[in-house]
Amino acid sequence: MLEQELKDIWNNSSQSGQISIETKQLTEELSTKIKSIQKKIRSRAIKEISASIIGILIFGYLLFEIPFPVTKVACGLAIAWFVFVIVKFRKSNLQNTKTDFSLTIAEQLNNQKTMMLQQSNLLDSALYWYAIPPFIMNFIFILGLENPIDYNWTNSVAESLLPLTFNFKIGTLIGLALFYAFTYWINKRALNKDVKPTLESIEKMQQQIKNE
Amino acid sequence: MHKRKEDKYFEEILERNKHKIYRICNIYAIPPIEPQDLFQEVVYQIWKSLDSFKSNSSIDTWVYKISLNVCLRSKMKLDKNYSKTDRFESIHFTPIEKEIDTSVQEKLKYLKECISTLNETDTSLIVLYLDDLSYKEIEVITGLTENHIAVKMKRIRKKLFECITPKIN
Repeated sequence: MLEQELKDIWNNSSQSGQISIETKQLTEELSTKIKSIQKKIRSRAIKEISASIIGILIFGYLLFEIPFPVTKVACGLAIAWFVFVIVKFRKSNLQNTKTDFSLTIAEQLNNQKTMMLQQSNLLDSALYWYAIPPFIMNFIFILGLENPIDYNWTNSVAESLLPLTFNFKIGTLIGLALFYAFTYWINKRALNKDVKPTLESIEKMQQQIKNE
Repeated sequence: MHKRKEDKYFEEILERNKHKIYRICNIYAIPPIEPQDLFQEVVYQIWKSLDSFKSNSSIDTWVYKISLNVCLRSKMKLDKNYSKTDRFESIHFTPIEKEIDTSVQEKLKYLKECISTLNETDTSLIVLYLDDLSYKEIEVITGLTENHIAVKMKRIRKKLFECITPKIN
């Protein structure tokens, strides 16, 4: 008796309000929304790739222009790192955009968990692929900067800046170390503030679903 | 499918399911997210995924899957892009002017209060149960086995009745 009564109350709850939908206008709004989302995804991808491409072009130019062997090695490594970052971001974006809402709740939770674990690994390992490698490259780059006269290199900008003093090199490296430490901290913060709580809530729901 | 035919199909699905979608959204919406925001997101996901619908279950069962997945994602804070300024102008929610029996309203309030004491996945099961879905249909939506659902439902119903009975009487 109570069971049917509850079902009636539940089903009658819709009577307190009316939902009217103008379908023609709705399909137009939906098309606009999907286009705007696709545009945002494209623009994010372009921004990420452009930053790396600019890096590749700058270091490519320096690799060609600078005569110091150690600095040339650093430029080569920097180009390789930028390519690696492009691939890593593209892979991560592709994995994150695949959300299938027509899966069962249990499958959807599994999918979300896999995605969040990938996100978590990406952020957790940021120190090893996003902070330490560019710091090492910068370190090698700066240490390798020598006196242009020793290499008969005639470049007005280089001649006005080089050779760097030992103190200047140390100061720059400390500044860079602080910058990459900050980058690492930002990633850790995102991991602890956003990804870990979401992962915990997914695992909590998975546990709830398993329990009888 | 021809676009006009597809739009017509989409319209029919929405018309038939809009109230049940809203009931689910109403249970899962927690301020600042409002039921309208979740409703709109469900409509968007139905429209986006309609082409990929496979007829190994009914379209109405599929709509339940989409609705619950959208609502659970909002609970997990996976989607943070709900904004009142992004609301569709084509969807209107208007309260009905006529007098509604206050005792029915009160009972509905108690029912919602008691559902809110359940955890997220038990809430999914109870809303499907209150919508009179069979265990077989709930299995298709949740991915749990019928036996597992039966065991869980026994416990959830008991908890719900224990909560609501003293309030109603």
